[in-house]
Amino acid sequence: MERDRRRLVISAVGLTIGGAATARLLPEEMLLRDRRPRRSRVAIISAEQYSERLDEVLLSGLREFHLNLRGKSVLLKPNLVEYIADVDVNTKPVLVGAAAEAFLKLGAKSVVVGEGPGHQRDTYLVLAESGLADQLHSQKISFVDLNRDELVKVPTRATYTGLEHLWLPRTVLETDFVVSMPKIKTHHWAGVTLSMKNMFGVVPGTKYGWPKNVLHWKGIHRSILDICATAPLHFVIADGVVAMEGNGPLHGSHRHLGKIVLADDPVAADFICAHLMGLDPSRIWHLDRAAHFLGNGSSERIELVAEGLPQRTVPFDVLPEFAHLQMRA
Amino acid sequence: MDTAPVIRISQQILESRQSRGGAWGFVTNQDAVEPTCFVILALRHQSSVYVERALDALENLQNKDGSWPAFVGDEPEGCWTTAPVVLSLMATRHESRRVHRGIQWLLYARGREANWLWRWKLSTIDNKVKFDPAKFGWNWMAGTTSWVVPTAFTLIALQHASERGFCRSAQLRERVELGTSMLLDRMCPGGGWNSGNGVAFGVPLAPHLDATALALLALKGQEHHPSFQISLQWLVNHLAGSPSAYSMAWGTLAIAAYREVSPKARESLYGRAEDLIHLTEQAAEVADNGTLAVCVLALEAIAGDNVFQVKA
Repeated sequence: MERDRRRLVISAVGLTIGGAATARLLPEEMLLRDRRPRRSRVAIISAEQYSERLDEVLLSGLREFHLNLRGKSVLLKPNLVEYIADVDVNTKPVLVGAAAEAFLKLGAKSVVVGEGPGHQRDTYLVLAESGLADQLHSQKISFVDLNRDELVKVPTRATYTGLEHLWLPRTVLETDFVVSMPKIKTHHWAGVTLSMKNMFGVVPGTKYGWPKNVLHWKGIHRSILDICATAPLHFVIADGVVAMEGNGPLHGSHRHLGKIVLADDPVAADFICAHLMGLDPSRIWHLDRAAHFLGNGSSERIELVAEGLPQRTVPFDVLPEFAHLQMRA
Repeated sequence: MDTAPVIRISQQILESRQSRGGAWGFVTNQDAVEPTCFVILALRHQSSVYVERALDALENLQNKDGSWPAFVGDEPEGCWTTAPVVLSLMATRHESRRVHRGIQWLLYARGREANWLWRWKLSTIDNKVKFDPAKFGWNWMAGTTSWVVPTAFTLIALQHASERGFCRSAQLRERVELGTSMLLDRMCPGGGWNSGNGVAFGVPLAPHLDATALALLALKGQEHHPSFQISLQWLVNHLAGSPSAYSMAWGTLAIAAYREVSPKARESLYGRAEDLIHLTEQAAEVADNGTLAVCVLALEAIAGDNVFQVKA
């Protein structure tokens, strides 16, 4: 009887240790709930330039998704990093304005714009210098500084950084429909900055600093995955009219892509954006991992509802350490 | 120029926004340490019940290790806000055990590059961002490298602590010297400071107005240094016309501190006073309590009462 009990205890301890060791050796995404939709929809829309016509273009693109926004609150999260004269660093204000207008026309109860710049502590300065303040003022759209919003402690829904929770702005958590509006750019640490990397901006400087350096130390790719698994993100409108190649996200060169990408799945959006950049998304660590549990990367599960991918793409210039991302014919 | 009416109206608005807990949030009701410190400083001459309640609220937030969190409910591991708290407690209460514990925490806090292994890595393998990791200061939160703004705030706090006799140890002098060398090392090539470094991936970074102003305030005694001179010049040249009250206020605080050493700084001050009054005329529309409080402090500095100025 005593021996049986001892055996049972030893077996239980062995199983626990073995289970924990196995869990540590498995790729993280095998331990996470599969949250991929059965199918994702992405619309590539041609827009040769930023113009007043963006309103119509965007509205007709959004109608393809049959979104039910009636009575819902919408948060637009553009990429507002820093103002550099004559360099297209940020999501174009006229596109943010067009998106706000389109969502209101689709029945949204309210639209606000929110961002928490990474390096620049003076959020209003970037807002004003970038032209976004004037754009929003003219449309009577409110702006929320996500670096200084009320914070709520949220358990992380992925395990890549080892952080057990993230502090996130209440505005992000309580909005019905969160839209990531990245500028399509290369990135000197992550390879690309698209809708998922853009969500770094919802992580508050009040808690994590300017820049949000703790996330860099935890690993940028890993942090992107934990943030996107934890913060709500429902839709993507990516600004690729004028994109950036080379030493992005600030000091690269303009690349005229002439595209806006809409999607109901950020992973699918970023896969398609990477293809438009001539870069292989499966070689971008956070995209490859995200496609295992968070969204769709496989072409069989992505429906292109507007234009198709171009037959031939000249890959974006990248820093030498990212040369392996470039797709060659 | 009469700045007193704008100051008084702004102070009244700040008083009306005090939370039931005695502190202030940035724009929401969640009490945060940074805006609370600046509002305390902005109201320090009022000797009012508002300041007393706020000081009590701040003191109750102190962590066991002597540091302060970023906001109510934050984890107790402490962060950069300890420096502004120490500054505001010193400016309002002459003696406090809590101030000493805060200063001790600051003396032992350091950027991650202080560790020899990281220093070696950052100077050999991981060197896309150009800086000398042997010169370190303070970080935003534990486990990360040194950055300009937290280092500047801590240098100002420690130098005030020394001036006011709270601490005059050799350790304090060493940390101030090391932090000063870090700021000088991280300057942008054309003067001024970005958030952390001057050059990344071979590209010179553009300075930020607020980071430059804070670094200059922290570098009292370095006025002879060429880096200081070109940075002050950069600030004087770029501050005019800034649409943001926050940057305008910090820039004015720095320029006011050095009006005696730079004729150009002195000449520009009148214009910046006009800018600040214009930006804060509708003080009720300045939603961020930290920004409104720093505007009050900048207007006071124009009149000769600069709470951030290090006397050296």
